[in-house]
Amino acid sequence: MSENLLYALGTLGVWLGAALAVSCLVTLIGMFLPSASSDRNGKLIRVAVLGLLAAVLLTLGGRLPAAGVTAGAGVHVPLVWVVLPFWGWTGVVAVAFALIRTIQAMMSLPEPGRNGLIKAATIWAAVGAVAIFLYTKGDEPAKVLRGGLQMSLTALVAIALLIVAGSAAMTLAGQQAKVRGWTKTVFIHSMLIAGSVVFGLPFAWLLITSFKEDRDMSSPNGLVWIPKVQQTVKYMDARDPRMQGTYDGRTVFGSIIRTQGDDVQVEIVDPGSLRGLTFDTQKAKLKEVPKDIPLVTASFDGQPIQGKVTEEFVDGRKRVEVTMPASIAGKERIYKPNEVEPVREVGLKWQNYTEALDNLPPQAMGGLVYLKNTLIIVLFSVIGTVLSSSVVAYAFARMRFPGRDTLFVVLLATMMLPGAVTLLPKFLIFRQLGWIDTLYPLWVPAFFASAFNVFLLRQFFRGIPAELEDAARIDGCSPPRTFWSVMLPLVKPALAVIAIWAFTNAWNNFMDPLVYISSPERMPLSYALQLFQGERQQNEPGMLMAFATLTMMPVLLLFFFAQRYFVEGVTLSGLGGR
Amino acid sequence: MRLPAKITTLLSLLAIAASCLAVERKPIVIWGQALGPDSKGFEAVIREFEKRHPEYEIHALGLGAGNMNPQKLMTSIVGKVAPDAVYQDRFTISDWASRGAFQSLQDLVDRDKNQPNSPKPEQYYPSVWAEATWQGQVFGIPSGADDRVLYYNKAIFKAKAAELRAAGLDPDRPPKTWSEILAYSKVLTEKSPGGTIKIAGFLPNYGNSWLYLYTFQMDGNFLTKDGRTCTLDSPESEVALKFMKDGYDLVGGYGQSKNFESGFQGNENDPFIVGKVAMKIDGDWIINTISRYGTALDFGVAPAPVPDDRYAKKGKFATDKDTFITWLGGYCYGIPTGARNREGAWEFIKFATSTEGRVLEHTAQRESERRRGRLYVPRLSGQIETNQIILKDFVPADDRIAAALRMHVQMLPNGYIRPATFAGQRLWDEHVRATEAGCTTGDIKGSLLDSQNVVQRELDAYYRTETLPVVDLRIPAIGVGIIAICGALAIWFGFRRLRLGKLAKADSKWAYLFVSPWVIGFLVLTLGPMLASLFFSFTQYNVLSPARWVGMENYSALVGEDRQMSVKVMMNVLYLAGVGVPLSILSGLAIALLLNNAVKGMRIYRTLYYMPAIVPVVAAAVLWTWVLAADPNKGLLNAGWKATFGQWFNLAPPGWLTMPEYTKQSLVLMGVWGAGSGMLLWLAGLKGIPVQLYEASSLDGASPTRQLWSITLPQLSPVIFFNVVVGVIAAVQEFDRPYVLLGGQPSPGDSLLMPVIHLFNNAFTYFKMGYASALAWFIFLLILGLTLIQFRLSSKWVHYEADK
Repeated sequence: MSENLLYALGTLGVWLGAALAVSCLVTLIGMFLPSASSDRNGKLIRVAVLGLLAAVLLTLGGRLPAAGVTAGAGVHVPLVWVVLPFWGWTGVVAVAFALIRTIQAMMSLPEPGRNGLIKAATIWAAVGAVAIFLYTKGDEPAKVLRGGLQMSLTALVAIALLIVAGSAAMTLAGQQAKVRGWTKTVFIHSMLIAGSVVFGLPFAWLLITSFKEDRDMSSPNGLVWIPKVQQTVKYMDARDPRMQGTYDGRTVFGSIIRTQGDDVQVEIVDPGSLRGLTFDTQKAKLKEVPKDIPLVTASFDGQPIQGKVTEEFVDGRKRVEVTMPASIAGKERIYKPNEVEPVREVGLKWQNYTEALDNLPPQAMGGLVYLKNTLIIVLFSVIGTVLSSSVVAYAFARMRFPGRDTLFVVLLATMMLPGAVTLLPKFLIFRQLGWIDTLYPLWVPAFFASAFNVFLLRQFFRGIPAELEDAARIDGCSPPRTFWSVMLPLVKPALAVIAIWAFTNAWNNFMDPLVYISSPERMPLSYALQLFQGERQQNEPGMLMAFATLTMMPVLLLFFFAQRYFVEGVTLSGLGGR
Repeated sequence: MRLPAKITTLLSLLAIAASCLAVERKPIVIWGQALGPDSKGFEAVIREFEKRHPEYEIHALGLGAGNMNPQKLMTSIVGKVAPDAVYQDRFTISDWASRGAFQSLQDLVDRDKNQPNSPKPEQYYPSVWAEATWQGQVFGIPSGADDRVLYYNKAIFKAKAAELRAAGLDPDRPPKTWSEILAYSKVLTEKSPGGTIKIAGFLPNYGNSWLYLYTFQMDGNFLTKDGRTCTLDSPESEVALKFMKDGYDLVGGYGQSKNFESGFQGNENDPFIVGKVAMKIDGDWIINTISRYGTALDFGVAPAPVPDDRYAKKGKFATDKDTFITWLGGYCYGIPTGARNREGAWEFIKFATSTEGRVLEHTAQRESERRRGRLYVPRLSGQIETNQIILKDFVPADDRIAAALRMHVQMLPNGYIRPATFAGQRLWDEHVRATEAGCTTGDIKGSLLDSQNVVQRELDAYYRTETLPVVDLRIPAIGVGIIAICGALAIWFGFRRLRLGKLAKADSKWAYLFVSPWVIGFLVLTLGPMLASLFFSFTQYNVLSPARWVGMENYSALVGEDRQMSVKVMMNVLYLAGVGVPLSILSGLAIALLLNNAVKGMRIYRTLYYMPAIVPVVAAAVLWTWVLAADPNKGLLNAGWKATFGQWFNLAPPGWLTMPEYTKQSLVLMGVWGAGSGMLLWLAGLKGIPVQLYEASSLDGASPTRQLWSITLPQLSPVIFFNVVVGVIAAVQEFDRPYVLLGGQPSPGDSLLMPVIHLFNNAFTYFKMGYASALAWFIFLLILGLTLIQFRLSSKWVHYEADK
């Protein structure tokens, strides 16, 4: 431990030293700039002190015990990290807070504030003590991880120069207002871009993965960022010709598996959804078309060759016809599966998408049924939520009736009730109604106004001047008419917000379909995707990613086009939680 | 213009008539078998069946990860929308049968026993057939069978030949007894200078053996014949567990072995294929992996080694006729209660399990594999004749693989099965727990006894059920009805008594009409269910059989026997609420502060940052399974880890979704990524801060940092408070993300067992409605408590304009 402690302290020293050195250099540069202020001596002293400190720290750090990382050429930048169990970290954080509060208490002048700070410090200290006690009782010790960056000297110097230059530029900018604004813009943009990369990377990864061949999903040489696809050539197969015919009005491709005079039986290969199906037809109705066969590389008598696979045997062996080099082109040989390598070029594997849709249950009609179900749920949920919430909110906000305030308190109280409590009885109710495996349980409840939306809309209705309503009444409007023609148009922005929330909630709803829906004819997208994940995760990740991309697409497209309503609608409507 | 319209009407009418005349094809819904590239053989069976029986139409669905998801099946049976047939793991059949969820097929088997392709017990291996029966009735028709044998890496044996000979062991043959396999393991195990395992000779529970196999080998079992007493802690299983512990101690102890195992990966990095494990006991499914990824692997197969006395036929084993045994499992077809097309389902099951159907399946699947350029390795059948055909016609041209297949078939007649019991799942879970505890602590008897008690409690509870008083559900329903009517009358009379003007009265009527959607919804969908839930929490109720009154038992179980589980669930919530929520809020706030600047292209940035919040949760979770994948050559996060921490600290990348210490971090990370969802509120809050405050402070010379701390944050504190409260409530109710991330499977070490997931499992997987209702109220109290604490604390830091 003591050696670990030494290493940790030394590492801190090195990093502190480096930081001091940089600031020393920056101050030095600042001294020679034209606009520098007068106090040269003070700065000189500062530079000297900083430089001395940095030199001492760096020299001490250089004598650190070995980090367990093999030292190579160049400079070894030490790194250190402490691994603590949960309570250990809690203790550290609490003690740190206690210290901060104590220091603040010592520095703060007015008495009342000081008492509060002292109280906070005591509480933090107590929390820290408890956490440290729990930590010492646990049997997980703290672990000091020693590590290091191996860097060439030039790289280190380059980085140091870069930092110094950057800092100097910033100091310079700080002195000129014009440059300051410009720097700020650059800074914000670079932060925004960095954040976009972090937030967008998983999406990019999804998109790339959805276009990869399965063999690229995991590769021993690190991640595959550029998808490659198997190259094929057209080939007229004499042994097993590929025939084009029509089945059930669709153009299909397949192989002849039995011939009896003019009558033949064909097994379908393409499209995938009909694969394996056989049908009887006449030879005259079929047309021979070329096959797409894979290109591979292999070794032919010790000579590397490229060839095309003309036949694949049941046990996995492949018959390869040489195409390159030209000297032996046309020769054939049979290879074991592991003796050939496919020829692949950069490209996108669109088949992941078509296959994903092809492999859905036939009742899903290539996923259209899922989309339809989702749209039904979303549509009715949005209509139901907006209608019922606005009606109820209007009554609570603008109408007088006995028991209103009691009811409103009850309404507020239901906001606290977790959905879990009513989950089971609701299931039993819908079961009694015979609604299991129908879409009703997914949208009917939307027509009964949710407490949160009512509360929100009520605030908006209350903000509308009473004169408008009175005028409408004097003109002889009935309450429904007043509501519909006068009041409702005035809260449109809030309605938009509620509609958008209802939309996303309905689109994302996963637990209800999980409980209520079991046949593909009635499945919404979210649940279908989860089932698809269970079935394809292991063996066909490309298909899974393609399907996930497809489920995201509609809602992302909608978001792009309706962005104004999503983002600005809410912002403008002044929902500030106040 | 009119004529064509008439014609189209006529035509469409004709079309409708024609479709009515055409033979109505009755659907047969089959669950547990998804159609896809890996099931082309099954698809061929369906097509052939449909050709022979044009009156039927097969709808095959996966509905679960490879095997049936119990939740889905149970929900649909209870909801009266059951499928017609289910392809289901055999050992769970008795569990389902005991709950009345499956139908007995005995009458059908007896009726058709003279038909040539109808299933008959004598066609199957005895234990295969026995596994699908419950109380003397057959509930499932078996299809496949998988048994376990010893796989050993011949190359490692050859490389260590000299050492093996020095230890008196023959490097040219596999071990036959327990003491031999330990001796081999000792020689073959290799460690790095640091003490970590480099090659493990033999890890007793790696692969697929479990305590079951070793106990069977000792002629022990976990239940008495009548199924009423659990014998997990029998002398036989104590010896067996001792053997497992010894096996682990030999390679460096259970903990270190598990550490070693956690680095294992699949496919081409399979530890057996790359030579990290020299010997393992596993099922026939791994042959396919070896054929695809271990083309050069030099391996052999042998029966699993047995206790020394058994091998020598000494002591109690003197009369045993089989020296070597195995344990087997597999799938079968069952018909759930409430299936709408029982006859059709039975016809299909008969065809699919017949020799003809099985051979057709293998032929078609082999063809499909060939098209994909893969070698076809057949899976074995529970039917004796089919296996002979498989060995004759379907064995691939690879001697190693052929030998392995033959060994598996050879061992099938000596297969033992897990006992048929309704507590099968619990017994399985507890035996796993006992194995882990025994190997870790060394207290073999104690850990077996603990688990035995848990199982025994469940057995006793089941047999006790009949003695509990039945509750007529109409009574509470009528009670609720009376309360509702009384309430309505009270309001009505109250309303009559109020002295209101005529106009006000008319207005009130309108008002009541206006609030009625909410009132009705509240009564039917909130208050009624709440009362029902409260009532159910005092009962034992599985919907299929009548509810029985148990009093406070569900609650006392929550804080009593199941205390550990309840505490675990609470700690999981506290972690997410204490670590996840603040981190999400910090990142959300940081994003909002960035996005609140007026720079060009802000719309694009906003879209980008908001995207994670707008995509469906399920899609996001699917995407994250790929980001969090443990293999650094596959998972985005671990690729990053390998390039940074891996380089700097020499740290192996963690299994984000497989190691209990990291699963919650994964969820927190995902939460931070989705922090944009609160962005709208943040931005609105920021826009609402008066600009004068900033202007005034600028004049006073405040720096941007100072403005952030002294103006922005205090002004924003109500929004922060709102987000904290909502975030904590959402954390308690977390369901979708952990469920999808783990594909509905249990989380490692229950590290992601959130309250609602726990409730969901109890409610819709086991249909313990009573216990689940008690849990629901526990969740309610949890939310209430956490929210109240926050409101108490809020006065310390939340700044309201009105206060000043």
